Amino acid sequence: MGQKEFSLLKLMATYDKRWIYLLLFIIVLGPMVQPIGMPIAVSALTRNYYEKIMGLKAGDIVLDCWSTEWSGYMELKPGFLASHKMFIKEGVKLAIALGHPEGIPLVHTVFDEELKSYMEKYDYEYMKDYIILGFVFPNVAATIAAASDFHAAVKVDWMGTSIEGTFLDNVHTGADWTMIADFTTGAGNPGLVDHIVLRFGTPMISHDIGVMLPGMLANLDAGLYVAGLASTRGGAELEYLISEPGPGLIMMDSFTIGHYMLIIFIIIGNIGYFGWTSRTREREKTAIK
Amino acid sequence: MSWLFKSKQVNLAVLVFFFLVGFVPYFFLMPQVDDAVNKLSLIAATTGQFTVAIAIYSQWRRSLRFIKEKRKGWAYHIYLLALMSGMTFIGFAWGKSHAAYIWLTSAIVTPLSSVAYGILAFYMFSALARAFRARSLKAAFLIVSGCIVLLYQAPLTGAYFPGIESYAVFLTDNFGMSLSRMFSIAIIIGGIILNIRMLTGRELAFLGFAREES
Repeated sequence: MGQKEFSLLKLMATYDKRWIYLLLFIIVLGPMVQPIGMPIAVSALTRNYYEKIMGLKAGDIVLDCWSTEWSGYMELKPGFLASHKMFIKEGVKLAIALGHPEGIPLVHTVFDEELKSYMEKYDYEYMKDYIILGFVFPNVAATIAAASDFHAAVKVDWMGTSIEGTFLDNVHTGADWTMIADFTTGAGNPGLVDHIVLRFGTPMISHDIGVMLPGMLANLDAGLYVAGLASTRGGAELEYLISEPGPGLIMMDSFTIGHYMLIIFIIIGNIGYFGWTSRTREREKTAIK
Repeated sequence: MSWLFKSKQVNLAVLVFFFLVGFVPYFFLMPQVDDAVNKLSLIAATTGQFTVAIAIYSQWRRSLRFIKEKRKGWAYHIYLLALMSGMTFIGFAWGKSHAAYIWLTSAIVTPLSSVAYGILAFYMFSALARAFRARSLKAAFLIVSGCIVLLYQAPLTGAYFPGIESYAVFLTDNFGMSLSRMFSIAIIIGGIILNIRMLTGRELAFLGFAREES
């Protein structure tokens, strides 16, 4: 008497949530240190995104919007890098417009580190092939201004060098972009759709974080986007399609195991709920007091 | 002369005029006013950036109050103010490509930003695992739907059970998307109503007229 009996059902209903944190930490870290290499399936969404970028020709000018802060970039990174590798390989010209102040360190990381060797491989040069415009889209009004008269709104690159005499001479309004590519955490720029896509019919693709997927799919369904890429998983699929394995494919093992673990915990929690919690409540309700 | 600026009617007339100048050319080609509209957009974009100054001022006031009253976590506010001031000074004095600015962003801003985002996964995971209980038939439907979408989102599942895609896509394309549309439509309708109220003078607090007309 007085000694507590062990009950598996009770444990399932009342386990300490820190076990979840510990297990999640292990299953995320483990496969990243030692990748398993589980197979993945490529979704129709990613295939469409891939085809839209492949449809671009050398010399096409893309408005490349980085509407992401650093934290969101961690989720977008695989798709972001894979998309840019495709742009570079195809010889597409990029005008990089930041929509978030944290985009500035991102510029250093992407061009000085992550894509440096790839750009050297394809002889992709600053001012000739890509121009960093800087934080030019802080709000919708700035997007409207750039959409109506680009050179009235943007005269210099992010370091203050004039953009005159570059490939951007051919861009006057939102109609002159071959495509808009938006990499967004959702703190993105509604002005791109409202004042460039709807007004000029410029095609737009979007790479979004997971929680913004319903919104992205609705825009895709409405024809506002011509293609969309979903979260890290979409990025991994794109890496697979372009045969450039990167951070996305490495993360997919953790991704798969993490999702399965969550389902297992939901099942465990429900067994605990019906086997212990609800019965305890029933016992309390019917107890003779 | 001050009556001119204080007059509700004059302010409203200016508002309606500039609204029409910006609104009408969106739908009709009006090259005569294009330049003026572009200038207005640039003015609005530039003015908007001055809100950063207000944000810095507000943060200083808030943090100084915390420090003065020694409220919980007051020491962090010293750290915050020092970093904010340092970064602003370096940014203005030497620019965003200076080694000190890059060091501040890569050693402090970016790791903190990543950590703040990364730990969300633990909370979301834990919340889902503990909150998804089949307490009713509706909750059971939610759990089953959630598990189907979760299974589909695990990349391995699609490789061995491609058939799951049709079920998951049905759920996301119908239920998920309809909710998202409802959300967007609600925001847009709300925006239109607010604008109509502003233009008809029923909502003038943003112009500095505290009392609104009924």
